[in-house]
Formats: sequence, C-alpha cells, structure tokens
Amino acid sequence: MPLSTQSDQGDGQYVLVASLDNVRNLSNILKAIAFKDHALFNATPNGLKVTVEDSKCLQANAFIQSEIFQEFTIQEDSVSFQVNLTVLLDCLTIFGGSTVPGVTTALRLCYNGYGYPLKLFLEEGGVVTVCKINTQEPEEPIDFEFCSTNVTNKVILQSDSLREAFSELDMTSEVLQITMSPSQPYFRLSTFGNSGNAHYDYPKDSDMMELFQCTKTQTNRYKMSLLKPSTKALALSCKVSVRTDSQGFLSLQYLVRNDDGQICFVEYYCCPDEDVEEE
Amino acid sequence: MKCVIEGSNVKVFGKAIHALSRISDEMWLDPLEKGLAVRSVGPAHSSYGCFLFTRLFFQLYSLNISSPQAALGRCKLPVKSVLPLFRCSASIERSVDSCKISTGLSDTQVTFQLFCKHGITKTYNLGFQEHDVLQAVFPAHLCPNVLKAQPSLLGDMVIHFPASQEEVTLSVCPKRVTMRNYCEERDQIKVMSTEMSLHPEEFDYFHVGVDSDITFCLKELRGLLSFAESHGLPVYVHFGHPGQPVRFSVENMVLEASVVLATQTDSESEVSVQPGGSEDPAAPSVCLSVERSQSWSPCMPPSVCTGGGVESRPQDAPPTAPPEEQVPSSQGSPVLSRPGNLEYFGLHVATDSGAHAAEPESADPATFRLHSLLFGAVSSPWPNEGDVLHTSLACASDTEEDNMEERSSATPMPIY
Repeated sequence: MPLSTQSDQGDGQYVLVASLDNVRNLSNILKAIAFKDHALFNATPNGLKVTVEDSKCLQANAFIQSEIFQEFTIQEDSVSFQVNLTVLLDCLTIFGGSTVPGVTTALRLCYNGYGYPLKLFLEEGGVVTVCKINTQEPEEPIDFEFCSTNVTNKVILQSDSLREAFSELDMTSEVLQITMSPSQPYFRLSTFGNSGNAHYDYPKDSDMMELFQCTKTQTNRYKMSLLKPSTKALALSCKVSVRTDSQGFLSLQYLVRNDDGQICFVEYYCCPDEDVEEE
Repeated sequence: MKCVIEGSNVKVFGKAIHALSRISDEMWLDPLEKGLAVRSVGPAHSSYGCFLFTRLFFQLYSLNISSPQAALGRCKLPVKSVLPLFRCSASIERSVDSCKISTGLSDTQVTFQLFCKHGITKTYNLGFQEHDVLQAVFPAHLCPNVLKAQPSLLGDMVIHFPASQEEVTLSVCPKRVTMRNYCEERDQIKVMSTEMSLHPEEFDYFHVGVDSDITFCLKELRGLLSFAESHGLPVYVHFGHPGQPVRFSVENMVLEASVVLATQTDSESEVSVQPGGSEDPAAPSVCLSVERSQSWSPCMPPSVCTGGGVESRPQDAPPTAPPEEQVPSSQGSPVLSRPGNLEYFGLHVATDSGAHAAEPESADPATFRLHSLLFGAVSSPWPNEGDVLHTSLACASDTEEDNMEERSSATPMPIY
C-alpha cells in the first residue's frame, strides 16, 4: 500500500474515529459499489456515506449508520474526503477472507481532517496492521434531484427473483429497458441482443412484489454497462426498490443485511439512455 | 405451430438442447404432424442429431398444416440463442412451470415463453435464419450390427476417455466389444492408450452380422449419452462396415432421439484423390437430404445411403422396408419432393486442408467429386427389382453436380 506522504498527528486530534468489531460489516458493503477506483467519503453524526460515480451518469451510494459501528465519534458536522477505494478495500481485507467462525478482523478508522491521511488499524488474532492511505480533495457528488415528490413509479421486489433475472440478462444487449405501468405488463425488463429480444414480466400481484405503486406507464432505457455493477449490490440484498421519476432517472435502493443482521442501504442512480427516444 | 411443454418436461427439452449443442452451433425446429423435431447437423455434415418429441410430450401441440410453408415455422436457430433459456436445469426444475414455443407467427422470429413461479413470465423472441431443414437418411433396418445397452454401460465406457479425446474406435466381433481411443499413426507413441472390452452378455441385445471396427467422434455422442443416462433410457447402436454411419438412438413413449455419426473409412482407394495433397483419410459425411420449403409429396422413397465406395454396398436386395422404419425424422414426413429427383446432397468432407462445408459452390470440381465418392449410392426405394437409381457415385458426382446446378436454377435451395 502507498506510504503516507502526508503528515501524521497524535491520537487525540482525530476528527473522525470509527470502530468495528467485524470489518466485513464495512468491506462487504463497499465491495457492492466498488466499480471505480475512487470514492468520496462523507461522515456525519448519522453515519458514513460512501459515493462512487461513473461518467456523470451513474452514482452509487452506500450508507452505514453510526449504530452499526461499535464506536463512532465525529468532531464536526460533516467530514469529507476522497480515497482510492481499491486500495482501501485491499487494506480492509488484508487478513484475507477468513470465514473461521468466531474469528473476525477488527477495524479502527481514524481521520485527522483535511490534508491528513486516513489511518486504519486492523487486528486479527493479536496481529495488528496499520495502514495509512492518502486522501484527496473531495469532489461534489452529482445531485440527480431525485426526490420522493418526483417519483412516478415505484415497486419493491424481493431480491431473489430480480437476481435470477439479472443473471440471465442478455449481455449482448447494449441497453436494459425498464417498463413500469399500472396496466399490463406492470413491470418488465427487456433486452435487445444479438439473438433477439427478451422480456421479463413481473405481475403486480406476484408474491415477489412487495409494493406496487405505478401511476403512469413509463418505458426507459439504461445502458447495460452502467447497470451491471449494481448486480453486486443485488447479490447482497434481500429487497430492492425500483423507482423512476418524471425524467426517467432510475433509482435502485437495496436493503442489505450485514453479518450481524443489521440493516444498511446501497442505492444506485442512473440516467436514462438519451440516444433512444422514450416510447 | 404452437406448443406448450409442462412441468418436468421442460427440463427434458432443455437437456435435449444441451445434447444437440454438442453436435453443432445451429439447430432446426421442425414442427411435424406427429410432433416437434429438433435437429442439429455437425460441421462438415459428419454428424447429425435429432430429437423428436411426439404429441404426447406436450400439454398442447397445435400445428396448422394447411397454412403456407413458412407459417409452419420451420426454422434454423443458433444454439447459443436457445441454450441460455435452459442453461441451468436445476433452476428450471425449481422455477419453471411451463414453456410455450410459438413459430410461424413472424417471418423472422420464434417465441419461447417460460411461465415461472411467482407469476413471472420470461418471453424470448429469437431471430431465425431460414426455413429449410436437413434430415439424415439412415436405414437402420439394413445395419448388420445392432447393440442395445443400458445407458450406464455406455456411460461407464466413455467415462474412461478424457474429455479431449476426439475419436474412438468401437470394434465388434461375435465374442466381444472393444472400445479404444483413436489416434493417428504418428501420435501413437506420445499418447496414452485406453482400451476396454465388454462381453456380449453385458448388452441387452447383441447382434453382430459383420465384424467391424468403426471410428467415430466421441465428443458429439456424449450429449446423447448423458441425456440417456439422466432418463434411464437404453441406447440402441446400429452400424455396419467402417465408413458407414453409426446411429445411436433412444426412445420412450414421448420422444425419440438419435445421433448419426460418420465413421472413418479404412479403404485407401476411396480417399486417394485429394486435391490438397493431404494423405490423411478424409472423414466421410452423413447422408443428408433437404426438405424443400415449397411443397412436398406425402409419399417419399426411403433412400439407402452407405458410406463405402461404390463396390461396398452391403446388401443386394433393394430396401423394402416401409418408411416408418427409418430415422424418426423421415417417418411420415416429407423428405424428398419428387421420386426420382432426390434432393440429396450435403456432400461435404472435412479434409485436413480445410473444410468446405459451407460453400460447395466455391469448391472446385475435383474436390466435389471426391466428396461424392464417400457417399454411398442412393437407390430407389420402390421394390422394383433392377430399378436401382444410382449408379456409381463417381459418375453420379459429375452428373450430380450438373443436376444440382439445374435444380438450383429450377428451384432455389440452400446448399451447405
């Protein structure tokens, strides 16, 4: 890992300290959004929000509430920094993926503030590793202006069935088309690939459908390459909510239970593919 | 054509597609009066597989015979379009309630619909390429050697050969059956040899008319063997002299499946002329015929196809067996359009100098002649003694080429 070139400071001055008995409660969630190297960390008294973006069209956020941490101390209202997420994950998993029951890796994350490196203490079985990762200037995340009042259609599905659909999606299709409607076909995923087109239809009364609130028939297409990373979050989650707003922006929210059964959230925002006219 | 497959039969259908995928990258859906035939023809036409699902297999099978040809829905599809639908048989069993296949509704697409649990419906509209269908012609009743074995017996035999083993040689004599791996002369020192022998008593039925060593491609057979094993269906093996195709088949109340493989000839004279100058024997092809998409006559002559040279026709009597005894694909279904004008081609040989399988038109006449040599004569089926139609292959090849040109100008027909 990179040696820190930023100055270090004594213990008492940390702006943010977060501790976890099981680092997997953080690393697993971060893996679900790790499709780019860089991530923006934003800590508030509520907890930690990690944001990853791609080409101004896709944004993924992971929320880990302060209650998940065994210790979460923050000296300011909001602390933000950017780090290399790949490097961070390498550090968090430095002891390997041990699944021996009862053996977990503990984490203590410390941050001094602007200009200081992110310091990680990882301990397993009495062995301690200290990592210092350089931080960068935090960039402003995109605001998709996606708010509840704009939402036209919303469904909540159990992740199992959507996982199966996503694993079978025709990857030769450049786009994934999502149709949501108060009438047939209710909720449809469509692909247009080399072999032909495919449609997955979920009826509104399916027992996989936990909530169905569609006010208007909408069909939107999204680039498959942008949505593909979301399958990692889908794999971890037990429920997913799919919402579209009046402009066709897509919000996917995943409810993830961590190793200890606590709930965290991951969400993906995606712009519609504008090359194609909306049907 | 519209058909619905219910419950556990969806998995059976999926396994059939998997088996056919071992033979070729393309498959045909051929809706027939008595059921749906799914066929596949291997590269260089050296192998052929057919699964015929009878009406009993389906919960619903509806075929509108009086509609125009194209509406019957014969089509050729890439296997890779269909295989993903049936990729994971465990999950199919768990989640798919039924599968509906509709053809003929569109000129360019066939629709597969999977109705799954929780009300989920998966619809696939797959583009297809064309309408004509190839079928193999194989007179099983004329084969001197017939074996019937439990699928586990054959499965246990082939499991000893590595997955990379392309070809094996099956030798039979009245006292034993031997299977060994086949390798070129020059490689024998370098490769591991595997050979096993079975006693005739291990077979459910054992009839050896001629001692024979046939060499064929094992890879293409594995699909059918694993299908047979998973359904516990005994496997019939029909074959004759080296050079004649071998047929492996299984059947039960609702389906019949067969794989016909070309076997290597061991006669020098038949493979001596090679434009490419290669010394290796060219693999002979399976005899195939095409159904024209325009019209057919319900009564067609069964054809005899032997893989040896002209001289090696094993039987003297003209075939008198009714069409029903031939491969399921030709039973009752139109194979040839007019007696005496046999749509009989598919003469492609995989030579080491490169397969000409795709474009016979571009093959030079010498190559084409050679290809024809490796096919047996096709004789008229009618029990009129002496009314044997063809003649020596060597002659027929030239004529055939001419005939084919004439035919192709008369009626458009895809030539592989």
